[in-house]
Amino acid sequence: MPSLFTIPGIINGRFLGLVLDILIAISVIYYIRSKKQIFVRRVPGLDAIEEAVGRSAEMGKPIVCSFGIASSGFDYWTLAGLAIMAHVARLSAKMGVRLIVPTGGSDQSLIVRPVAEEIVKDAYTLEGVGDHFNPDDVPFLSGQQYAYVGGYVGILQRLRPGSVVMTGSHASDAMNIAETSNAIGAITITSGSYLSNTAALACASDYILIGEEAPAASAYLSTDPAQRASIRVQDIFKWLSIGVIILGLIAVAMGSSLVTNLLAT
Amino acid sequence: MSEFLKSRTLQLIIMISAFLIVFVPYFTSIPELSTFSTKLITITAIANAFTLVLAVYSQFRRGINIVQKRRRGWYFKVWMMLSIVLMCIFALLGQDTGPYHWVMFAIINPLSSVNYGILAFYMASTCARAFRARNMKALFLLSAGIIVLLYQAPLTGAFFPGIQPIALYLNNTFAMAAARMFLISVTVGGIVFGVRVLLGQEPSVIGVGKEA
Repeated sequence: MPSLFTIPGIINGRFLGLVLDILIAISVIYYIRSKKQIFVRRVPGLDAIEEAVGRSAEMGKPIVCSFGIASSGFDYWTLAGLAIMAHVARLSAKMGVRLIVPTGGSDQSLIVRPVAEEIVKDAYTLEGVGDHFNPDDVPFLSGQQYAYVGGYVGILQRLRPGSVVMTGSHASDAMNIAETSNAIGAITITSGSYLSNTAALACASDYILIGEEAPAASAYLSTDPAQRASIRVQDIFKWLSIGVIILGLIAVAMGSSLVTNLLAT
Repeated sequence: MSEFLKSRTLQLIIMISAFLIVFVPYFTSIPELSTFSTKLITITAIANAFTLVLAVYSQFRRGINIVQKRRRGWYFKVWMMLSIVLMCIFALLGQDTGPYHWVMFAIINPLSSVNYGILAFYMASTCARAFRARNMKALFLLSAGIIVLLYQAPLTGAFFPGIQPIALYLNNTFAMAAARMFLISVTVGGIVFGVRVLLGQEPSVIGVGKEA
């Protein structure tokens, strides 16, 4: 099928994707600049983080938080995981809870680890308890995924944390961690970064961040109205997607392939 | 000069330039841009390899510090450093045969497979908790779960041939619809996240201190 949008030597297909990307970017910039006070729906998984840290504080137990195995280095799941970890670190420092951040799981995780350590250290410093930061609480377990899981599960079973926040780019290791966390009675908050994981993680966790909730976590958690306003763009484009799906259904039912062709470009 | 190199503006300029060099060729068909983009990706991969060396160096520095102070579990750090050195030497001797091959295929891979196999039991215990018919919704979940589970089992097709169309219907309609919903929301969330990173609004990229 020939592309609908072709400018010889410059553009050959993929035009609609480009337009949508540009539209999303402009909308985000507009909403951030406008600083509109918008209603942002509650995300139970993110709200539960404060409860999880508080529970650990009450029980006098540590909290375990991880940002994933970072198998592709600084991919956006890892960055989202780091943003959530930064929030957990600040809450832990504020409430005086020992935070443990197991790192590793891939060769690339060696590159992400120092950044994670700096984030935790910064969080402690910002809360005025920089001297409470212990680098040994950000252990590097292994560059191998399953050796990392073994170490992680070992930490959970030995230290029996009050809560476990597992976000970011965890792959098949996520189930071992979430289920062990559940078995030791910790509040388990996870994010389903992989489609195949999501259903199983939803069963194994007390709270789960689904879909765009994890990448948008830092905006949800921010107190800055400009940051929160950028979330509105996601909702707008999700509604737009639903509209296009319905339009496509009607068009196909009427024997037209216009929407299908349009989306293929 | 060092202040300029550390400045957030410079970091953002580099980030946005690198993004455009990779982003634009994806949507256009200008060969020069594609070549430039491929070269940049290769350069990044090489730079990444060097950062890996730095990361190993930082592990060694930390490990030596722990061993010198005889902190808890210091002997594991000795083991880790020894393993890194030995594996580097083994890898230089050859990766397809010899000690490197033996360590990978006789120790690491079987152990990883065992851990992967254990996953089945974790899944089973999760399912046992989730599949309880507490209410009508849970009953639907349980029924759908059992049908799909039986369909996946090797001999079910022989004993209950009627289960296949029902399982396929569940997979190809409800499961597929939910999966696509997930993909759409993740994609939109990912693009918005990317724009926020490029605007320097993400604490995991700009640093927690700058966010406050």
